[in-house]
Amino acid sequence: MAANPTYRTPVIATPDEALRHKLESIWSDPHNLHGWFGTTDHKKIGKRYLVTAFVFLVAGGVEALGMRLQLAQPNEHLLSPGLYNQFFSMHGMTMIFLYALPILSGFSNYLWPLILGTRDMAFPRLNAFTYWVFVLAGIFLYIGFWNAKGTDVGWFNYVPLANRTYDPDWNVDIYSLGMIFLGISTTAGAVNFIATMFRTRAPGMSISRVPIMIWGTLVANVGILFAVPAVSLDFMLLWLDRRFGTQFFNTSAGGRPLLWQHLFWIFGHPWVYAIVLPAMSIVSQGLPVYCRRPLVAHSAVVLATILTMVLGFGVWVHHMFATGLPVIAMGYFAAASFVIVIPSAVSVFAWVATIWTGRPVFTTAFKFFAAEIVLFVIGGVSGFMTASVPLDLQLTDTYFVVAHIHYVLIGINVFPVVGGIYHWFPKMTGRMMSERLGRWNFWLMFIGFNLGFFPMHISGLEGMPRRIYTYPADMGWGDLNLVTTIGSFVFAVGVLLFVINVVRSRFVGEKAPPNPWDAPTLEWATESPAPSYNFAVTPRVASLHPLWEERLGESGRSTLDEGPVLDHEHEMPGTTGLDAEPDVILKMPSLSLAPLAMALLIAGTFVGLLMAMWWVAAGCMLAMIPALLWWLWPRHETGWAVRA
Amino acid sequence: MNTIAREARSLPRPLPVGQAGRRTPGWWGMLCLIGTEAAIFAYLIFSYFYLQSQTSQPWPPTGLPPLRFSAPSTAILLISVVAVWWADSRVRLGRIAMTYAWLAVTALIGIAYVVLQCFDWHAEPFLANSGAHASLFYAITAFHVLHAATGVLMLAAVILWTALGHVTAERHNAVTIVALYWYFVVATWIAVFITLYLLPWITPH
Repeated sequence: MAANPTYRTPVIATPDEALRHKLESIWSDPHNLHGWFGTTDHKKIGKRYLVTAFVFLVAGGVEALGMRLQLAQPNEHLLSPGLYNQFFSMHGMTMIFLYALPILSGFSNYLWPLILGTRDMAFPRLNAFTYWVFVLAGIFLYIGFWNAKGTDVGWFNYVPLANRTYDPDWNVDIYSLGMIFLGISTTAGAVNFIATMFRTRAPGMSISRVPIMIWGTLVANVGILFAVPAVSLDFMLLWLDRRFGTQFFNTSAGGRPLLWQHLFWIFGHPWVYAIVLPAMSIVSQGLPVYCRRPLVAHSAVVLATILTMVLGFGVWVHHMFATGLPVIAMGYFAAASFVIVIPSAVSVFAWVATIWTGRPVFTTAFKFFAAEIVLFVIGGVSGFMTASVPLDLQLTDTYFVVAHIHYVLIGINVFPVVGGIYHWFPKMTGRMMSERLGRWNFWLMFIGFNLGFFPMHISGLEGMPRRIYTYPADMGWGDLNLVTTIGSFVFAVGVLLFVINVVRSRFVGEKAPPNPWDAPTLEWATESPAPSYNFAVTPRVASLHPLWEERLGESGRSTLDEGPVLDHEHEMPGTTGLDAEPDVILKMPSLSLAPLAMALLIAGTFVGLLMAMWWVAAGCMLAMIPALLWWLWPRHETGWAVRA
Repeated sequence: MNTIAREARSLPRPLPVGQAGRRTPGWWGMLCLIGTEAAIFAYLIFSYFYLQSQTSQPWPPTGLPPLRFSAPSTAILLISVVAVWWADSRVRLGRIAMTYAWLAVTALIGIAYVVLQCFDWHAEPFLANSGAHASLFYAITAFHVLHAATGVLMLAAVILWTALGHVTAERHNAVTIVALYWYFVVATWIAVFITLYLLPWITPH
């Protein structure tokens, strides 16, 4: 029988060894298989996300290098046309879906509770679930590739080419079902971030004191909530067409191939912002630390981030200018695409002003963040160019667009991500990364990237179409392509140095103090590496820069080393949405195998659907009912049934 | 001064422990789930109107849709909103027996809706592969039935938990969250009903 909610007044204390010891025994996972598969620790899940996504980056990178070898000179025969199609399709799919967002989820999972001054995400088990679904969906998307049946009609998978008539093998079925599968992970993650933002911030962290890194990820995840359904639906309709003969995209029965493109890009363009806004917020959070001053125009950058996401939902047709749409529609979408430059420029000018008025310290992380600004401007300008309809009609489907997408995605995603690892590695591992190796790492990546991708603008302007597996010698594209190939290998060596630096520093790096960069936010207020309970006592936040208050002359003073003790099992404060005033002591779930079980059942469902083994799919779906009941059962430790 | 007043409200003071209060993480989670599911329905309806705008044939191609099952469905689903709202407001007063009863009424209406929709499918003159309209018609209605069935399962779980004594006046979140989901199921049905069943009757052919 459940009792009324118990009320408790937490004790105020200064943390001592006994308290740390007690908290450690409550929050740390056992060192066994149960602990490994059942963990709900956001720090472990975050690191797993980072490593897994990086493995996918390497896989996609190897595919890219294969293509670059094939294109280095005219008339090469390294890859057959069919294999080449699979390489560029798998490369795009891997980088855009299995690397670009999951790596950012890794940062957010690891950092959010630390930056917010709390102990875990709002839904720790859901967090574990999103990771397992991501891994399993990633494996699912790759199963065809092992026997040379990877998806082969490009990452945006246009019908009618993707119809069963023209692509009868199961590669497109794998892609379709795999994307729906992966969408579950992305959506569940978004729900978790939003609930975490509005329910678990440290007391006193009112909406105006939320650090910029949180805003970037939050805004992206709100976008994901409304964008991912479009692509999941699109792939579902395609799979129904392919498997059951429905007529969504079949022109002869009233369907329309352009419906595919509309739904795909209604998702696709917001997705671009979902994979760059959190990365831009990594820069906004990290860059000022090395400039020894707060970010210039913090509020304007936050508002610009929100505005970018909102506008991002209204520009999708600029991917479809060449499909013969009405002129009025193209006019509107071209104008909207121009307008989106304004909020993007707000961030750029804020970063430049931060460097300009600060006293920059030229660490490796700083270099990566500063390089992002340069590459963002180049990628932004080429995007601005293709927003113009007449120019786009000339440039679409050429290497110019390939150059643009890589300046955007490598420039605004990979560079901040690598810089972010240099920045937060001490917190994650308790060790510093080598700056000496970092210098080589940075310059090889920066020079290799520009050497590899800048010439693509020119080959595109000279008319080289994207996605061709080779070209005749008399087109005169050979030299440019050779430079591109050399540049891409230099870039790859830079990435390799990064991996070496990470692995080496992990074991022999210099020991890191709690706040090696003298940064202003809460994640640096706890030890390095962060202990399993994050903070021994609940911090109370009084400004945007809790660790810089004195030198900035802020009126408020955050209290970090004395505060309420929550040490009855897994507990953290629940706070109100805007003011972040504590109104409940949340009981958090701990070790659970339910998330893994659910993820495996979903995987079983998708395998059943793929192989047309309907009884497997139905059985797995039925089994989800008891699994969910088990997961959600009202228990004492999750605070649904409270013992006095 | 404002700051001081706010500091005074902060810890330490007695705080409820566990899933108490209205805006629990679960409530936020359900709100987000509803947002993303509503987006799927919006994109389905977008697809419907898009294909309608692209066709030169009559839409729907097989004539006006029958209302003899969908209209009663709409009526009973609207009643179910009152039932689940009543259950949610009773549980806050600790009237557990009433909570039970009205949750059960909601679940039964949900089951009745699913049955009625099966009759409706049986009465339609087309199959899912007859054409673009038919494909979308079945996709949208089946997707909605799936959501209603999920809602019935959720109601059943909450009825079970109420029976086991896990739902009380102070700890009523399970009921509140499921009620929120059920409002969403009915609200999307209204959109689906207007789009698929009513609009063909009131637009000129």
